[in-house]
Amino acid sequence: MVSRERLAAHGFTLLVIAAWAYAATQVPPIAMSGPWTTAKALWAFVTDANQLKHMGWSLMHVGVAIAVSFVVGNALAFLAHYVPATALMVHGRISPFLNAFSGIGWALLALLWFGATHLTVIFSISMVLIPFALVNMKEGLATLDRELIEMGRSYTRSGLRRFLRITIPSLYPFMFATLRISFGVAWKVALTAELIGGGSGFGYLFDLARQDYRTPILFVVIVIIIAFVYCADRLVFEPVQRRLQRHYGTG
Amino acid sequence: MERADARNPAATLPPRQRLLSRLLADGLVVAAVLAWWAMSNALPANILPSPAAVAAELWLLFTDAVYLGHTAMSVVRVLLSVTLALAIGGLLAFWPLGSPWARAIVHERIQPFFNSFPSIGWAILAVIWFRVSDFTAIFVQVAILIPFCLINIGAGLKELDREALEMARSFTRTRRKILFKITLPLLLPYIVGALRIAYGVAWKIALVSELFGTGSGIGYLMGEAQQSAKPALLYACCFAIVLIFFAGEKLVLDPLSRRVRR
Repeated sequence: MVSRERLAAHGFTLLVIAAWAYAATQVPPIAMSGPWTTAKALWAFVTDANQLKHMGWSLMHVGVAIAVSFVVGNALAFLAHYVPATALMVHGRISPFLNAFSGIGWALLALLWFGATHLTVIFSISMVLIPFALVNMKEGLATLDRELIEMGRSYTRSGLRRFLRITIPSLYPFMFATLRISFGVAWKVALTAELIGGGSGFGYLFDLARQDYRTPILFVVIVIIIAFVYCADRLVFEPVQRRLQRHYGTG
Repeated sequence: MERADARNPAATLPPRQRLLSRLLADGLVVAAVLAWWAMSNALPANILPSPAAVAAELWLLFTDAVYLGHTAMSVVRVLLSVTLALAIGGLLAFWPLGSPWARAIVHERIQPFFNSFPSIGWAILAVIWFRVSDFTAIFVQVAILIPFCLINIGAGLKELDREALEMARSFTRTRRKILFKITLPLLLPYIVGALRIAYGVAWKIALVSELFGTGSGIGYLMGEAQQSAKPALLYACCFAIVLIFFAGEKLVLDPLSRRVRR
């Protein structure tokens, strides 16, 4: 059964590539560049230092934005948890507002405020990611095992120690889930933000390629991003999450 | 050191704390508007227009015939593409149920592909393929929303109570009966979950399709406002999206979730 499933999946992949190759011969090259043209353009891309620089910028934007939104979102969730009077402010005002605000809106506003800079791109991605981190950590804090913390109290009277040794480790699965979701969403927003408000990164390359009708570049960037997100998910996030789930039982 | 339940913050607090929490929450909103007003006095209007100017534009978005047309167009497109994405995502999720060999095709090929495809990539390619049209905008939105529906409904199918299905099979052998009487009702919370996520992503991310793909809708207005330096309109569009998003959530999604949970 398993081998049949594998076979079907690989067959499907080949079928899609074949269909892609066929479609590319049927439409003008502006509309679609076939697998072979894309592969050649991909090679040219990864050997060109100038293009690779843009890849580095995109990585930097995504990385910094994930870090910023992780810290801000978690800080807000902790504030609401440990100072109950602020819970309504955080979960009833800030979170719904950020959650309802459009990503393109942030990008266009940031362009107005900060000009076409790295700050614009990082700001827009972070603002979209913060509600994800906030909501996830809220769920995590709500499922905290009270009895475990109670037990911790019988071992030590230091609140900081209990927080670092029990609370934080119980939240690992949720923190990790936040990182995984953030990584996926960040790439979706990053290109839009770079196209609208930045002079660097994949989104900028996209804009140039679109204006000059250089379709192969479009396909190369799309292929790189799909490979990137897919590999990160399969090779990093999935194995780590499985381990965390085994260890902590939740997630 | 007893902490209130984070799920329901206001209800479990003592009265004085409850008052304080309301004061903080609404105080923040008032403070934000006041700060905006003060800053708009200090900054040029093309960077930060005053709250009053933005409110006037916002009013126009829901009353002026031309603007209202754009607003309505976006709403119709979002509803249509959420429905389509839910249908396509649902069908894809159900496929391996009937033919188990297709599981890897759906969950290890189609889902990661759509999930990692950049949304702006769809927007640019669709404009090249289909030119600027309504179809382009909806195509892009559906392509962006499909993975969210597929993941959620797929997760629901994975969690389905096998024993309930087993029991159903001992009562009837009609597959259609099992589908409508057992599988779909059990799946309903996940379908509503998918609907909620798709609706959110549609307004927050998929609107990019209107920025490139069409000559109408709020996304198009935002692009226009940016290019012709009408910042008040840009701000108003952002707030209009927040308002419409809330309306859909409070009027449709929340009642639906409550019903499903019962």
